[in-house]
Amino acid sequence: MTPLDPGMNIALDDGFTLKDILRDSLESTYVDDAYYARLRGDLDEWQAIGTPLTEAERQRYEALILHEHWLLDRRAFERWYQLYTRQCLYWVPAAGDMPDAVRGDPQRQVTIAFDDRRRMGDRIVWLRTGVASSQLPPSYTSHLSAGFVRIATAADGEVKIRSQFIVHEMRAGHVVQTLTGWMGHVLREEDGRLKIDRKLVALLDAARSQHNMTFLL
Amino acid sequence: MSHPPELPLDALVQEHRVHRSLYTDEAIFADEMNRVFGGTWTFLAHESELPAPHSFVRRKLGLRPVIVSRDRDGALHVLLNRCTHRGATVCRQDEGTARRFTCPYHNWSFDSAGALVGVPIEEGYGPGFDKAALGLGKARVASYRGFIFATLNAEMPDLVTHLGPAAQLIDEWLDRWPGATLKLQRGTHRMICLGNWKLVYDNSADGYHPGFSHMSLLRMRKDRYGAGVDMQWTIGNVDHGLQTVADVGNGHTFIDQRAEIKRYWEQAAPMPGETRYEQAIRAKLGAKADAALDVVMGSGMNLNIFPNLLIIGNQIQVIEPQRVDLTHLTWYATALEAPDLPDEVNALRMRLQEDFPSFGEPDDLANFEECQAGLSIPEMEWVLTNRHLGTGKEYIGPKGMLTGPVTDDLPLRAFWREWKRLMTSTTRLAAA
Repeated sequence: MTPLDPGMNIALDDGFTLKDILRDSLESTYVDDAYYARLRGDLDEWQAIGTPLTEAERQRYEALILHEHWLLDRRAFERWYQLYTRQCLYWVPAAGDMPDAVRGDPQRQVTIAFDDRRRMGDRIVWLRTGVASSQLPPSYTSHLSAGFVRIATAADGEVKIRSQFIVHEMRAGHVVQTLTGWMGHVLREEDGRLKIDRKLVALLDAARSQHNMTFLL
Repeated sequence: MSHPPELPLDALVQEHRVHRSLYTDEAIFADEMNRVFGGTWTFLAHESELPAPHSFVRRKLGLRPVIVSRDRDGALHVLLNRCTHRGATVCRQDEGTARRFTCPYHNWSFDSAGALVGVPIEEGYGPGFDKAALGLGKARVASYRGFIFATLNAEMPDLVTHLGPAAQLIDEWLDRWPGATLKLQRGTHRMICLGNWKLVYDNSADGYHPGFSHMSLLRMRKDRYGAGVDMQWTIGNVDHGLQTVADVGNGHTFIDQRAEIKRYWEQAAPMPGETRYEQAIRAKLGAKADAALDVVMGSGMNLNIFPNLLIIGNQIQVIEPQRVDLTHLTWYATALEAPDLPDEVNALRMRLQEDFPSFGEPDDLANFEECQAGLSIPEMEWVLTNRHLGTGKEYIGPKGMLTGPVTDDLPLRAFWREWKRLMTSTTRLAAA
């Protein structure tokens, strides 16, 4: 384990590979009524007015999120996966850009992506098969984020950070796609490290037709 | 500018091959949007999207903007979304509840059955003005077990006759849990394909492609979970397997995978929430739990209702052509509601219905787009539709349907026969 930066408290195991993901989290054990209730609570909390980050919060929280995006843009999916907790979620609702707890309720609605740790692993293994026609040629992304604010939360030990994003996605031979909206990251410590527990990507045009959403946001 | 094809349709649509221009010619596209869509019973919406009097959804019949509405008594109407005054659309929202559709241009207003009920400064039209003759244009509408269809063809037989064996197959698809009601309004996957709409319909009963086009899904599944899970029956020489395809008549087509599925729940794709919800369902239902878990998984049926409705897995897919080389494909998620079916089943159904839009359909759509690219080459004229045409493997199967091995192109041939019939029909379509 080599801390990227002692101050950032991010640790990645450089030897972690696709084989490790293949063996990791083959069951889906933690998504249940209580988990969905927490996600509905998240949707309520994300609506609140945020507080711009202090310098210390930027160093700790914004830095982690920027690093997460950097890894995605480098297609370093295995390292990206390591930034998440054991009971994590990567979630892209299919409802409007400010999904409420009714329209955005994933217990009752399909989403563009609802990846618990197991499905997140499936997605990485799928991207790495090299035979997905929708990823031949592969997508390259560029994340640009701004407007980081901290949102108050009732949950102990959790930190909620909201930000605005623009992602450009390019596949050779195809037009560059622009996706925009806001993200919510729920961070908490696990094994003494700050990790991403839940990531919500609220696309401006989530409810409209999309062309090839097989890359990670 | 597009060029009309130099060959007549009989030369373009042959039993063993069809011409590339059917996928690329703008004039043919414009014609089929008017003659095929609306020339036959065409799917528009599901009744569960219209839960109350005055509910409406905005849809398209081909490229025609239409409103599917319920009137005050709950009766269904398909209204042409075009003010009878100057032509502006009167409904500009995707869905909602409205007693009146009021054109924002001059405030002519129409009730939820389409009747003209309000004209500002009406006396300016003089004494002979007949509001009763100026209601919104309407299409014939009929529904079968919640599926709402419309046509502008007065000569079409009733919907059940037109559906033929497809009606019984819809029953089988719906009645996996006796007494359950199918509900939409559970979200959608809306996908864009830079390809002609018929590439999507072609694929919906193509039992030849899964082992190849879905290699990424199959390989991911096998690498992580081993054999036996989800769709592994599509690998190898599937003509030796138990799946079949059938010509359901009137352009409707069918792939039946059910014989390959021994235990639905055990062969389902992985889905978030599986462990906890399986436990909850077993605790609630005991001996009936296996049957409830089975309806989480898709039906093992691809039932394609000409020209735009694909009932596949647990989802309702609707083909929405935009241009000759641009198609929207909307997958409506579905829930099953019954007093004796716990809602945990639907929590799982939502997750499972995200699986194929994530790991399967995008690869097909990418291949359709590459078909469109390849079909642009004028010197390479033909697309083959002749698989199993001469192999003697077809037979009259269940429900009297012509049936063949799963890689048989007979669904393609069935589609093109109906397409050509509608494109050459002399029946004049009209609004009611």
